[in-house]
Amino acid sequence: MQLPFYLLLLGVVMIFQTTILDTVAIAGIKPDLVLLLVVLSGFLLGTREGAFLGFVGGIVEDLFSGSYIGINALSKMAAGYLAGAAGERLYRENIPIATGVTFFTSLAGLIVNYLLLLYLNIHVSPLYAFFRVALPTAAYTAVLAPFIFKRIFHYIQLRGRDL
Amino acid sequence: MRWVTAKRLLFLVVLIAVTLAAMRATVPERTRLTPLGSKFRDVIEPVQTGLTWVGRQVHYLISFPVSMVGATARSQALEQEIERLESEIIQLNEYKMENQRLTGLLNYEQVMAQKFNLLTASVISRDSGKWFGTVTLNRGLKDGVKENMTVLTPEGLVGRVVSISASTCEVLLITDPNSGVSSLVQDTRTPGIVEGVDGRTVIARMIHIPNNDPVEVGQAVVTSGLGSIFPKGIPVGEIAGIRNEPSGLFLSAEIRPFANLNNLEEVFIVTFSQPETNSPRVGGQ
Repeated sequence: MQLPFYLLLLGVVMIFQTTILDTVAIAGIKPDLVLLLVVLSGFLLGTREGAFLGFVGGIVEDLFSGSYIGINALSKMAAGYLAGAAGERLYRENIPIATGVTFFTSLAGLIVNYLLLLYLNIHVSPLYAFFRVALPTAAYTAVLAPFIFKRIFHYIQLRGRDL
Repeated sequence: MRWVTAKRLLFLVVLIAVTLAAMRATVPERTRLTPLGSKFRDVIEPVQTGLTWVGRQVHYLISFPVSMVGATARSQALEQEIERLESEIIQLNEYKMENQRLTGLLNYEQVMAQKFNLLTASVISRDSGKWFGTVTLNRGLKDGVKENMTVLTPEGLVGRVVSISASTCEVLLITDPNSGVSSLVQDTRTPGIVEGVDGRTVIARMIHIPNNDPVEVGQAVVTSGLGSIFPKGIPVGEIAGIRNEPSGLFLSAEIRPFANLNNLEEVFIVTFSQPETNSPRVGGQ
């Protein structure tokens, strides 16, 4: 996946994330499209690429928000790395596996996000953070994985593993 | 540990450390930035500004069509809501006007309580014919209404009861040709009879005014009570025009009734009036 294309894709995804995704929010929870892109790319490309794409995706997202710059970069880097690690050990061409990996690595990334909030002295109830934010967001994000996994898979196959 | 791996590890550590520092530097609640944080913000400010601008523009472009989804349904719902509210406003205005009318009636009733016993009634229908001026009220025998009782509004005389059922009564308006009210010009005490011209016009006529009596346009006419079924002193109307009767002995005057006979809604029926010392008159009794 070429970096300019990835950045362009990130921009589009982020615009979707901040616009029409609000219309599909359930009880205030909406899927994290950037995380989904990072995790699936990492799953297919490997740890190094996953971490890199996660960091780039996260930092762009942070620049969009303008505050706590780096929090998404680190959490998504962790998620991308873990997805890459999973991809190196699991069968990559299976949608249910990709969906499961999306769920668990997204959950891990969101937990890292929570830990970074603690580092910034922002205290959120752990139960609330896990059950009301991390778990539903990871689940909602994973639900979307089957819809875009094949497209990313075919694109990466066409382009090769160049980044 | 291989050199390449060590380099990567070092890079990762540095990257994480810098990122953590950046996070600290960009905490929004901070009132004072560190020099590094300040510099960082200054550097990324143009990027943020650009991204924010692009984001807003695209947000608008994407949100607009999305907001159009269901716009027709929302528009229809709003139109219905507007119609409902307009109807409600009309209804509230109706209540307001009714309240004003009833307040006027109540005040009048309190003022006139010493002189008359008044029964409030509502007009429930008007005569549908062309020639007669009658209205039907929602009061009848069971309310103690009797024939020839006087009907009035705070503005002036309306007419008299001519027929009664158990719960309604018919009132002959003073503008009906069959109506005759013994009256006098208030200022000059000039007597005359006020009779209707036809039931559809709001003009009555005062006849048999002696032609040597000074009457003028604009003077008020009140009931005289003399030999009449109407109590004395009820305002009837004002003189709108004067002319000679064909006989040459009398004048006749156009009378514009004080009561708005075209828009009667609530009226009083005089069920009892205090007798005058020298001219006892009781409406309908």
